[in-house]
Amino acid sequence: MATNPMTQFQVYRIGPEIKVGAFDISFTNASLFMVVSSLAILIIFNLGSKKNSLLPNKLQLMSELSYTFVSKMIADTAGSKARPYFAFIFSLFMFVLFCNMFGMIPYTFTVTSHIIVTFVLASFIFISITVIGFIKHGFGYLKLFVPSGVPVVLLPLIVVIEIISYLSRPISLSVRLFANMMAGHTMMKVFGGFVISLGIVGGWLPLSFSVALTGLEILVAFLQAYVFAILTCIYLNDALNLHH
Amino acid sequence: MPKDQFKTRLEIAKKKILEKNLYNKNDNPSSIGAAFKLSTELVAAVAVGTIIGFIFDKTFGTKPWFILIFFFVGVIAGITNVIRSAKNMQK
Repeated sequence: MATNPMTQFQVYRIGPEIKVGAFDISFTNASLFMVVSSLAILIIFNLGSKKNSLLPNKLQLMSELSYTFVSKMIADTAGSKARPYFAFIFSLFMFVLFCNMFGMIPYTFTVTSHIIVTFVLASFIFISITVIGFIKHGFGYLKLFVPSGVPVVLLPLIVVIEIISYLSRPISLSVRLFANMMAGHTMMKVFGGFVISLGIVGGWLPLSFSVALTGLEILVAFLQAYVFAILTCIYLNDALNLHH
Repeated sequence: MPKDQFKTRLEIAKKKILEKNLYNKNDNPSSIGAAFKLSTELVAAVAVGTIIGFIFDKTFGTKPWFILIFFFVGVIAGITNVIRSAKNMQK
């Protein structure tokens, strides 16, 4: 029994050590679960889209439902212009969702509970959306930092504030996902430890708590993937349609 | 005749779907997600402001001043962020 609730987040090497220059790129448990979740997505959606029968089986129904879910989400938040980015947002949503859900299985590793993973995802989104904005609008994209109807005296301050709030996007995006996943899993581990230490007499209360927490965590796992994807859509919307 | 009947039935079904959609729009399913969103938005802007201030201080050697200024600018940016996304939610 692991007494420290944080040991579940440890990254350790699986197999041989591989080094490129000063970088350690050996295969770890984190990379294993990334591979597992991507493979699961590939298999499920390949099997689900193989036979396009009129009466769908469970797999086909699942993949069609998730397709319409994501496409509706994009249409609602970013409009028809964001249609070409469907594949990106869909795979992003599915990857985060599967990583979160795989973490809910006991003895697995939650990839998204590490800030470096979520931060890489978020900064990739941030950089690509900035590039898309500059490609679509040229230097007119900088108008995003200058809201209309602001007195000239306040303009320097407002521009600085806008730039900070723009730069805070990847941080808020990544910290949200990471903090939710880590806090939830730590809490589950702590309550699990209470069950063991209180024994058969007093362990029932924390046991019922951890059952409830498991349900809550599954909700959070879905919700955080959803929020991650929908915020990507909102930022994409800002880049595609300049409102300011 | 059965064709006409089918048409009216189709019409009724379409109306039902439309009504359902209108009804669904009123209660947002992602309200918990929105709550999560607001909390981090405030913190992230403060963190970014402080980091920018720290970098400026390092490069110009004006130890406490930029970090102080940019901390407060970051707080303002965080509050505007929260207000903006709250406004977006109300739409």
